[in-house]
Amino acid sequence: MLKYIANRLLQIVVTLFIFFALTYFILDAQPGDITLQYVNNPKFTKEQREALRRRLGLDKPAYVRFFQWMGNTLRGDLGESYQYRKPVMDVLLERAPRTIFLFLTATLIEFFVGYWLGRVLAWQRGTGLEYGITVVGAFFYTVFTPWFALMMIYLFGFTLKWFPIGKFLDVNLWRTAPKGLTANQIFINLLVTMTLLAVALVVVYYLTRRMNPYRASLIRWSALIGGAAIAVGYWAASPVAKYAGDILYHMALPIIVLTLINFSGTMLLTRTTMLETLREDYIMAARAKGLPERVVRDKHAARNAVLPVFTSLIISLPFILGGGIITETVFSWEGLGLTLLTASTTGDIPLVMGSFLFIGTLALLAHLVADVAYAFLDPRIRYA
Amino acid sequence: MAEKPLLSVRNLTMIYKTRKGPVSAIDDVSFDLKRGESLGLVGESGCGKTSVAMALLRLLPDNAQITGGQILLDGTDLTQLSEDEMQHVRWKRISMVFQAAMNALDPVYKVGDQIIEAIERHERDIDPAEARRRVEALFKLVGIDPKMADRYPHEFSGGMRQRAIIAMALACNPDLIIADEPTTALDVIVQDQVLRELRQVQKQMGMSMIYISHDIAVIAEVAERIAIMYAGRLCELADAVEIFKRPRHPYTVALMSAFPSIVGEKRPLVALGGEPPDLLFPPPGCRFHPRCPRALDICKQQQPPFEDIGGGHYLACWNPAPMVEVQS
Amino acid sequence: MTTAPAETAFHIQEPLWKIRLRIAWKGLKQSWALFTENKIGLIGLGIILFFGLMALAHPILMHTVWEPNIYDPFIGNDPTILQHPSPPSARHLLGTDPVGRDVLSQLMYSTQSEFILGLLAALVTVTIATSVGAISAYFGGALDAFFMRLADLINILPFIALLVVLTAFFDFGMIELALLIGILSGFGGTTIIFKAQALTIKVKPYIEAAKVAGGSDLHIIFRHIVPNLMPLAFLNMMFTVTGAIFSEAALSFFGLLNLRMSWGIMINTTQAAGYLLGGWKYWYLIVPPGLAITLLCSAFYLVGRALDEVVNPRLRRR
Ligand SMILES: Nc1ncnc2c1ncn2[C@@H]1O[C@H](COP(=O)(O)OP(=O)(O)OP(=O)(O)O)[C@@H](O)[C@H]1O
Ligand code: SF4
Ligand SMILES: [Mg+2]
Repeated sequence: MLKYIANRLLQIVVTLFIFFALTYFILDAQPGDITLQYVNNPKFTKEQREALRRRLGLDKPAYVRFFQWMGNTLRGDLGESYQYRKPVMDVLLERAPRTIFLFLTATLIEFFVGYWLGRVLAWQRGTGLEYGITVVGAFFYTVFTPWFALMMIYLFGFTLKWFPIGKFLDVNLWRTAPKGLTANQIFINLLVTMTLLAVALVVVYYLTRRMNPYRASLIRWSALIGGAAIAVGYWAASPVAKYAGDILYHMALPIIVLTLINFSGTMLLTRTTMLETLREDYIMAARAKGLPERVVRDKHAARNAVLPVFTSLIISLPFILGGGIITETVFSWEGLGLTLLTASTTGDIPLVMGSFLFIGTLALLAHLVADVAYAFLDPRIRYA
Repeated sequence: MAEKPLLSVRNLTMIYKTRKGPVSAIDDVSFDLKRGESLGLVGESGCGKTSVAMALLRLLPDNAQITGGQILLDGTDLTQLSEDEMQHVRWKRISMVFQAAMNALDPVYKVGDQIIEAIERHERDIDPAEARRRVEALFKLVGIDPKMADRYPHEFSGGMRQRAIIAMALACNPDLIIADEPTTALDVIVQDQVLRELRQVQKQMGMSMIYISHDIAVIAEVAERIAIMYAGRLCELADAVEIFKRPRHPYTVALMSAFPSIVGEKRPLVALGGEPPDLLFPPPGCRFHPRCPRALDICKQQQPPFEDIGGGHYLACWNPAPMVEVQS
Repeated sequence: MTTAPAETAFHIQEPLWKIRLRIAWKGLKQSWALFTENKIGLIGLGIILFFGLMALAHPILMHTVWEPNIYDPFIGNDPTILQHPSPPSARHLLGTDPVGRDVLSQLMYSTQSEFILGLLAALVTVTIATSVGAISAYFGGALDAFFMRLADLINILPFIALLVVLTAFFDFGMIELALLIGILSGFGGTTIIFKAQALTIKVKPYIEAAKVAGGSDLHIIFRHIVPNLMPLAFLNMMFTVTGAIFSEAALSFFGLLNLRMSWGIMINTTQAAGYLLGGWKYWYLIVPPGLAITLLCSAFYLVGRALDEVVNPRLRRR
């Protein structure tokens, strides 16, 4: 197991290096550089442009600059954003928690909902319900996300006024915030809460895995509800409840949209793999043992079907994160994705590099975590 | 004769509904099985052996339909039970060693836990430690190290998996074990061992057994009575010795001739031409007639009845082979 | 494949290609029967046909009923209407955009390019993935390791982020985008699927037979392995089309592509002109292109799923 993780880590480091190099050279190959922005600026002479190029190190050969950049990156220095006139690292560290929190929450919910529905769907083979859910699922799976997000904003934001529109907090409310309280602290604390909750749930799942499915599912549901209640209670009692609540309120619609967009992929795949799993001999054997249908479905079929579904989730993590650009843009959620987009369109190369790097690294880390989790799900890998 | 049979299958008929039409996989099959008795079911691939086994457990695919007949287990008709009641028959009364036993273990659970799962299902208030002890005893019985109970299926070799499945089939002390070609995936030596163990355990525990195979040599080793199946129907059923000594059905005769006689008597080799029929369009009358060397005109029109011709020797043939008494 | 002697020996009148064609035709007919069992796939096919007709109808309409000055998707403008955008009317069934161009005409015009984009990307993907998958599976070894690591690497890249960066800094049109998507997904995840399938074909007896008969490696790969990958390829194309159309629309929506007209651009134009914030009032500017993207993507996806059930016997009902 440790060897497996070490192996994956090594792989990730190599991949990261290639990824960094790729990013650097692709952007380096783009026509012109930042100084071209000033070509039509009469105040800037050619000499001044050259001086700027030298100052930015743009006169050296590409590979020299790459290793310089690489070294700086490893030291945590990603250069200075042209746009914000401050270190790229600072900009990104401020924005990363927002993205992480939003996507972690949305992905967990999405996976849970999709897996649960897919299981039901496989058991309803050939019924009208199956057709209905499949068509609706396919719609959500392929819906043009920016458009769908807009429609949702129109519906829930403009027409029904249930949720706020845009941004991740209410500026007016935050003016009254106690000194020193930043939204980032709250994001980070929320993240910690959620991680603890998730870990607790995994432990409960692990402890109940061999129980009779009825009892196990009862315990799991109570753990989920209880854990959520404790977390909510803790935050409600804290002095910053108002501010955390504001953030969560702003987050609700993006999460709903992200869940709707992503759940169907998991759902449809769960259905497919369930149908394949149901043909396995061990399912027949489980039935022959006289186990009730529900136990056969949940304890044997679904448990095995989750493996490929989980694999596909791992594969789609980078995609989900990249797709965040769209969601973040439509919701003006100033996370990494939106930063990448605005930096790209304004030619703020250090920031592009930085945010691309962050997103890539995040994707890789999520990959690693999911990989290790997968090994725990599949004994064939765990004991390989 | 006086003893009431444990299992009595009466005129069982089953079809698979397919796109091209119904596949007549079991047609009018009847046989009895006494307590503690072991019956061999022989027939070519595709003749419906597995279908019979699955029908007994009512574990048929969605497109299968039992269209007639009864399956009486101690007088209760299994075809009439609700799904819920049937679940209590499965494994507790009838268990099975699968044809594809290699894959009959769920890869994500420990082998021991999978057996305990079956025990706990049928003996609700059993003490976990007791269940655990039983698994270890079963493992010893079938010749696996009891410590292996805490391993996962992928850590078992083919032969061990097969034994584990046999242990699992014995776990609830059922009245009847169905073994559907349990050894086909194994190499010959292991095959032989497993077979002998299975037979021994079955005798020891006084269970009935239906042993399914296409290989009459294997059947000869384990079965007291033998049923010959062809294209969804039984053609002959008798004591093992009787079948070997005095085969009457032309199909049985052909089967026997392909098999070097265990009683030493040389028989003329009967070559069977042609292919087994497509069960989508089974031939009318006797299903064997297109390949039968003794076929008469009536064979093409009328199905021969499956009747006792004396001494519990059942036969379905209009023109049986002459009785050749073989001296032993 | 000893064709000539066989013909003389059995006095086969028909040339071999005819027999092949007949066998292929029979296979197609069977697959079609399986496909039509799945209502969902038929719905998808219906939608694709509908859009296909729209794409074909546009040039015809432009030459007959539609006055080019008014209905041209780029420079048309209806002088009889004073204020643009204008809501749907008899003259403009889906209204006009902020610049006064007919929305329906734009919608129909863009359909052509969406098809071209999607099919081109799918073709490139599948061509690369089948060749690389077959070669990887057949030769194994270092070549295989290289291609698989490459696929892993591409798989881990955040695809959309990469497209955003690339299209922001380089000049991308429809064709370039299609090629890029095709290359990325062809060398990426798709290859892995194809290789897995090719591996199962590689161990089939007829491959061994072909080898014994002295078939060269290339002959075996392209004559025996690749043709057997075709059903999978066809199925995979559907999913790639979905991905390509979606990507184009998203990038156009951000205004990153160098295109004159597409469904994504239509939404982008609406956004740039500030009509997105107008809410439902300007639905005719945003619902048609958004719905068109969604419908066409779903349609290809549904057909892909239905094909999956044809190709993958494990999913069939009986
Ligand atoms: N689910 C099904 N749908 C349609 N036909 C089926 C199905 N399962 C089995 N059959 C057909 O029913 C017939 C009997 O099959 P069965 O599996 O019982 O044969 P078998 O005697 O066990 O053969 P083998 O020795 O190969 O295991 C075969 O002709 C088979 O093609
Ligand atoms: S009934 Fe006729 S065809 Fe059938 S086995 Fe007997 S002789 Fe042959
Ligand atoms: Mg069988």
